[in-house]
Parts: sequence; C-alpha cells; structure tokens
Amino acid sequence: MSAIVARQLVKHFAPDIRAVDGIDLDVPEGHIFGFLGQNGSGKTTTVKMLATLLRPTSGTAEVAGINVLTDPGGVRKRIGVAMQEVGLDEMQTGRELMTLQARLMGIGAAEAKRRVANLLDVVTLTEAADRPIKGYSGGMKRRLDLACALVHGPRIIFLDEPTTGLDPITRDAVWRYVQELHADGVTFFLTTQYLEEADRLASDIAIMDSGKIVARGSPAALKAEFANDALSLTFDRANGAVERATELLRGFEGAEEVRADEGEVTVYMRNGAAAVAQVVRALDDAGIALEQLRLTHPTLDDVFVRATGHRLEVDEGGAARPPAARGGDDARGH
Amino acid sequence: MRAVTDTWLLTLRALRETVRQPGNEAANAFIPLFFYMVTVGAVGSVAADAFGVEDYKGFQLPVALLQGAAGVASGAGLALTLDIQSGYFEKLQLTSTPRFAIVFGRMFSDAIKSMVLAVAIVALALAYGSGFETGPLGMVVLVLATGAFALGYAGIGIAIALKTGSPQAAQAGFILFFPLLFLAPTFAPKEVFAGWLQAVATVNPVTYILQGMRVLITEGWDISDMAGAAIAIAGIMVFTFTLAFLAMRTREG
Repeated sequence: MSAIVARQLVKHFAPDIRAVDGIDLDVPEGHIFGFLGQNGSGKTTTVKMLATLLRPTSGTAEVAGINVLTDPGGVRKRIGVAMQEVGLDEMQTGRELMTLQARLMGIGAAEAKRRVANLLDVVTLTEAADRPIKGYSGGMKRRLDLACALVHGPRIIFLDEPTTGLDPITRDAVWRYVQELHADGVTFFLTTQYLEEADRLASDIAIMDSGKIVARGSPAALKAEFANDALSLTFDRANGAVERATELLRGFEGAEEVRADEGEVTVYMRNGAAAVAQVVRALDDAGIALEQLRLTHPTLDDVFVRATGHRLEVDEGGAARPPAARGGDDARGH
Repeated sequence: MRAVTDTWLLTLRALRETVRQPGNEAANAFIPLFFYMVTVGAVGSVAADAFGVEDYKGFQLPVALLQGAAGVASGAGLALTLDIQSGYFEKLQLTSTPRFAIVFGRMFSDAIKSMVLAVAIVALALAYGSGFETGPLGMVVLVLATGAFALGYAGIGIAIALKTGSPQAAQAGFILFFPLLFLAPTFAPKEVFAGWLQAVATVNPVTYILQGMRVLITEGWDISDMAGAAIAIAGIMVFTFTLAFLAMRTREG
C-alpha cells in the first residue's frame, strides 16, 4: 500500500510563480523517500501541501489513504512533520513544548508525560529538558523539533532538510535515529540538499528542479540510468602514451566519452568492471604501458548533474546559492 | 470538550510567557495609571462645578481600565505574529487541535492578564479615594467586563496578525483604540459635548461601555446601563471575531 500518493500536484504563488508544477508521487509504506533538489526547487512547498499546511492549486494528494483537501485533520493525526525552519517557542522549556504538542494531538496528560520523558531520553535532551529553549544550541533545537514531530507516534514522517546546518556528529545521530524508526516500519518523506544523506538513507529518490520531478528511482537505478562508471588510466607522459591511448580508447566499444588530462585518460562507460580486462588487453596489444588503473562508480552528484544540468550547491547554513549552469562534460566529477 | 481543553492549554502557554517576561506588562500598567492620576489631578477638583460629576476619581476609573485592557489585548496580535515568524504557528497548525483554539488561547490569556491589571487599578483607585457604590460584587462585575472587553479587542490584533503576519501592523491595532476612547465621554459627560461630538459619541460603542462601568462605581446597579455595556462589548466581540475568522481562512493550512 502507498503511504503517500500525489497526482498532478500544482502550487502557484502570485503573481506567476509555479513552485510545484504538476508532480506525481507514489511512496510505498515503510520506505524512506528522498526528495532531492536545490533550495527553491519546490521541495518544501510539496511537503507543505502533503502536510496540509498549503492548499494545492490543483491536483490531488493522499497521505495514509486520506485526502489532504477533504480531511486535513485526519492527515495531521497520522503524520509527523519537522520543517526546515525549526519552529519552536523559545520561552518554553523543552519538556513544556513537547508536552503541549502531545496534548494538542489529543494525548492525555499522563500518557503525554510518559512519552515526552521517553523521547527526551531518545534525543538526549533529558538533562536540558527543564531549561528554556532559547538557551539550546542549534543541534539541540533540531533534535527537540524532531522529537516533537514524533511525540504522537506517527507512521509517516516528513523531514524537511532535517540536517541542514548541523554539525557532522549531530547529523549522524539524526541519520541513525531515522534508520532505527525506519527499521520499525515508519515511512519517511525526506527532503535534502545533501546527496550523501539521500544516498545513505533513501530507498527511493526523486530529483526536483524548477517545480518538476526530473528523475526518480532507487539510488542504484538512477546511477545506472543517468551516469557512467569512470575508468581512469595513468600513463607515463614522456613517450606519447596518453595521446595513443586516447586515440585507441575513443574507438573502444562501450566507451561513451574519453577525456585526457595530464597523464591520465578517463573512459566513461556503462559497465566499467566488465570492460577492465578488455581495455588492459587492448592497451597491451598496442604496446602502451599502463602505470595505474582506477575504476569509480557514479555518485548521486553525477546523477543530479545529468538530470538537472547543474550541480547541487549547498550552503551549510541552509541558504542555497544560485545553481551554476554547466555543460554535461564539465559538470562531471569523479 | 477537546476544544475547551486545548484552548486552556494554549492560554496557559501564553500566560507562561508573561510570567517569564514580566517587564512586557509594565508599560500596560503604567500608561493607564499615569493618565488616571494626571487627569484626576488636573480636572478632579473642578469636575463637580464644571459638569456636575462629584466622584471624578470613580468617573475616570473605567477609562483607566479600558486603556489597560486595550494595551494588554494589543499584545495578542503581536505575539501571534512572532509565532508566525518563528514557525511555531505552523507547528501548532500541524496538531489536530481546532484552529480557533490556537487564536482563542492567545486572546483568553490577554483577557486574564487584563483582569489581573484591572484588580490592581481598582485597588489603587480605591486607595486614592475613589468610591464604589456596588461594593465587592460590583467590583467583580467590573473586572469581568474589563476582561470581556479585552477579549473582544484582542480580536483586532489577531485579525491583523493573521492577515499580514507583520508585528508592526499588529501593534497598530492599539492605535485604533484612541479615536474610540476620545470620541466617547471620557473626560466629561456626553451632555456637555458640542453637538457633533455628541452625535459621534452616541454611535460609539465605547460610550456605552464606559457608562455601564461607571454606574457600578458612582451610582449603583442600573440594569439598563449595564445591559447597554454588555451589548456594546458583545457587538465588538462579534465584529472582531468575524474579522479574525475571515483572516484565519486566508491563512492556508
């Protein structure tokens, strides 16, 4: 069964901004769905529509089998949401904020107290629980925000750039916690600017660009579909080996692109591992001495570049820089 | 029942803010008391001869109460804009609580704060020499009326906050109170006003609120004047709550 379904979802903002431009989604239960894209690509707007914070201009969406337009209250009971901007009342203590959140989700006082104590322990905030939030660090606020999203035990959780701006240790802790919940069958809809995050956590990925989904699939499938392996060969530059090898490999079956750069020739091909032996044999037959060989598999960065035409640039503080337009060849980075 | 519980929880949350930032309420207490002392000091000794008001301290007491209530109630809109800007309003929207509980929680907290302030103002006025014809029960009614006025008045700031999300705009709601106050029999009875001002005061709801409050202090239980005040406060509530609900509908979620 699908946890999240959207059909031709559109959101316009005045005067003529198409923030989300007719996207289809289908997230199976129990999956971690990664939604990749630059800031301003429409990720957060999509999350807000699915979480009932924004009304779609057109299209339909169901979360947990409930229509977001006809029964938004029913959707809210079943989802947890942690938005990119941590929205906390800093005059309250962590415990007060979480308890209020639990009570407003309809949980009784005694049960709310128990759940809050448990979750504070999980996000390692028990010691700071009775201090005002204004004294918390950025990482503590993020963990508290995440705990608030979980306090009513939702089975579908939307995390909008949950680790943007976090230090590596806190980021790793958030990832581990997501994986623990995922192992328990919780569905995650995760937007991120971090390719590594999507690669590590998500079983399915969609890449969003200018309000449209431009690629989707599992990380492995996307890499196979959008990017090639890179076979890097190093030669002695003195005897013209680089030029001869480049010429030879340009005619090699399966080589989609060959680039030479300072003693190294890189061949891009679909299945690099299968071609290694043939390449070595062909070079040997031609009398070209090979010094070193390195095979690298494509990354999501390559996929992103191929799918969108630009590299995903991330500001650690969360603010994105405008994407630098690049040609396909220049954008490659192994 | 759920709506009542949630509204109360959100009221308590707003009151906690006040307890942790008591300085914010100092100006709300200072302004009405300052005006009360100055006005009584300037006009009190001639009020009986000039326009037949014997107990001018009692006559001015409702003005101080309404000023204090309006000052406190204007905080609801400002606080709501801060919640909107911080993203906490969205977090509250994501709960399953009824939408009106989110705004009523703020408004009720301001009504409670204005009643606490009203108790302090009445106590100071009595210490200063004001009479009080209806005794302790009348004081309770006066304080409750002040709270009801604050609840209605808070709706203006809430509506502006929901519509604009701007703290400056929400604070401007307080400014609306001054024309209403000064176009009513604030310093003298309506009978001594110029013709045009009498006409304006006659259609100004604050006139009836002041009159209903004043009779409790200076005359006694006058059901007619009290009913006039109750109707005026109810009218303000209907008007501002309607504005707030309309503004809420424009805010998505």
